[in-house]
Amino acid sequence: MFTIFKQSLRRWKWQIVGWGSSLLIIALYLMWLYKPMLEQQAQLKNLFDAYGKEMLSFFGGTVDIFSAGGYLNFAFFSYVPVAIGILALLLGSGLVVTDEEKGTLDLIMAHPITRTALFWGRWLALVAALTLTLLLAWLGFALGKPLTGLDTTIWQMLLPNISLLAILLLFGTLALFFSLVLPSRTAAASVTGALLVVSYIITSLASVNDNLEPLNKLSPMRYYQGGSAVNGLDWGYFLGTLGVALILAALAWLSFLRRDIRVSGEGNWRLPFLRSKSQSLF
Amino acid sequence: MSTSSVVLLAQGLTKSYGSVQALRGVDLGVKRGEVFGFLGPNGAGKTTTIRILLDLIRPNGGTVRVLGLDPQKDALAVRARSGYLPGELHLEDAETVETILKQFNALRSGKADWNYVRSLVERLGLDLKTQAKNLSKGNKQKVGVVQALMHRPELLLLDEPTSGLDPLIQQEVHKLIGEAKADGATVFFSSHVISEVEQLADRVGIIRKGVVVEVAETQALTKRALRRARVRFGSGVQIPPLADVPGVTLLSSSADSVVLRVEGEMDALIKALARFPVMEFETERPSLEEVFLAYYER
Repeated sequence: MFTIFKQSLRRWKWQIVGWGSSLLIIALYLMWLYKPMLEQQAQLKNLFDAYGKEMLSFFGGTVDIFSAGGYLNFAFFSYVPVAIGILALLLGSGLVVTDEEKGTLDLIMAHPITRTALFWGRWLALVAALTLTLLLAWLGFALGKPLTGLDTTIWQMLLPNISLLAILLLFGTLALFFSLVLPSRTAAASVTGALLVVSYIITSLASVNDNLEPLNKLSPMRYYQGGSAVNGLDWGYFLGTLGVALILAALAWLSFLRRDIRVSGEGNWRLPFLRSKSQSLF
Repeated sequence: MSTSSVVLLAQGLTKSYGSVQALRGVDLGVKRGEVFGFLGPNGAGKTTTIRILLDLIRPNGGTVRVLGLDPQKDALAVRARSGYLPGELHLEDAETVETILKQFNALRSGKADWNYVRSLVERLGLDLKTQAKNLSKGNKQKVGVVQALMHRPELLLLDEPTSGLDPLIQQEVHKLIGEAKADGATVFFSSHVISEVEQLADRVGIIRKGVVVEVAETQALTKRALRRARVRFGSGVQIPPLADVPGVTLLSSSADSVVLRVEGEMDALIKALARFPVMEFETERPSLEEVFLAYYER
């Protein structure tokens, strides 16, 4: 399992470096931006007051954006799950199926390695990849902290990243699950991406429309704290989200244990109305 | 065949892909230390059978034993003792040959002797530093051959091992297979290249539409099953209706001679000819190709 873990991380190293360093730079920039914003607090307040609640709901709602939690949420943590969610669902949907679609899984699985070891080795590599990416983002906030008068510690700034990790793992693992039951990686990534966006919209709008609250309870994004986690991580939300991710991972693992290893798309299926008569099965 | 001498055993193996039945009850037995050629055209079920042996796909029915083990229950042990070359080989394009081989070796807990790997690479004319994306199909196949052999497995499962290789390298691969056999390995390889099977295999299994229609020693199969007979009669003799003789098929005829295909024993034909003045009688052993085609014409 450790060999698979190492090989997967090695394969993703440039994605981790690319996404992580981009987030680090953004975090540094946002830290630098805080002081100038604070100096224009009055004008900005008027500007935000002019926006509708619905508009602001997509940036974490009508919280005080000049507090540590409010600023971090507004500037970064409110929208970043959708952005880094792309990385999570691309890694998740490709965890097993990329190698199947490339035709390389057949030979890997002919080596003395169990399906369980391959699956969990790669899933742990997904956890590590997302953790490393978010650690780089946090490093940006930590390095930029001295530039600001933000009323928080670097350790408190780690907490929103932990909340973010849980939600990314949930969507990454959902993409993995879909990749094992849907016909292709593209289908899995597309469906998961759509669910991520829908969840984001529902949770954002639910903060200004109480009628959406019943639906919001089913939305994973409701259990993501964002920047407000600097004031304390809600362990119930965190562990609940992580638990759902683990349940999805277990379901995906069971599916992987039972299915045939495909080679270069063999055995893929398409929706009946898209199926052509010449479809090759083996 | 005693149970302990059987390395591969398949009984009543069935496998369907949706409505397509790929295997319809495959029965096979491969003895320890032999080279077994699995012959059949594309889509006959060769690859499906091999992939079931390694638990890459699951059969719908039947029994499989590999090295005395059930591949579904003891996949790890079966794979640790086997070397596999897939029919459709795909490699990690961004990696060099050396990295790919080292990654495969890591999956075998570093079991391969790297000096042996280097000697294989050298014999096949591979460059360890080349990235897979820059390799031709033939060179990728060489990587596949090396990774299958590098840990000196007890059992080699090779799906079309010389596909895409030039004739010189094909001969080198044949030698490597021979050396593996000399070291005690059992080799099960599929091919639709009949001359290759004829050259390498101790025994041959012919698969047709998901059913093994014949298993025999290669030589016995070519000797026993079919012969071509050319008969020249004395002048003025009316050529007898030999096509009525059991097992005989008339291939061609001229004024004083006939070319016949004889299936099975020659006795009936010789007795039928005894009543006529025969000037020449020649028989030829058929190539495996003719044997193979005879099965497909049925």
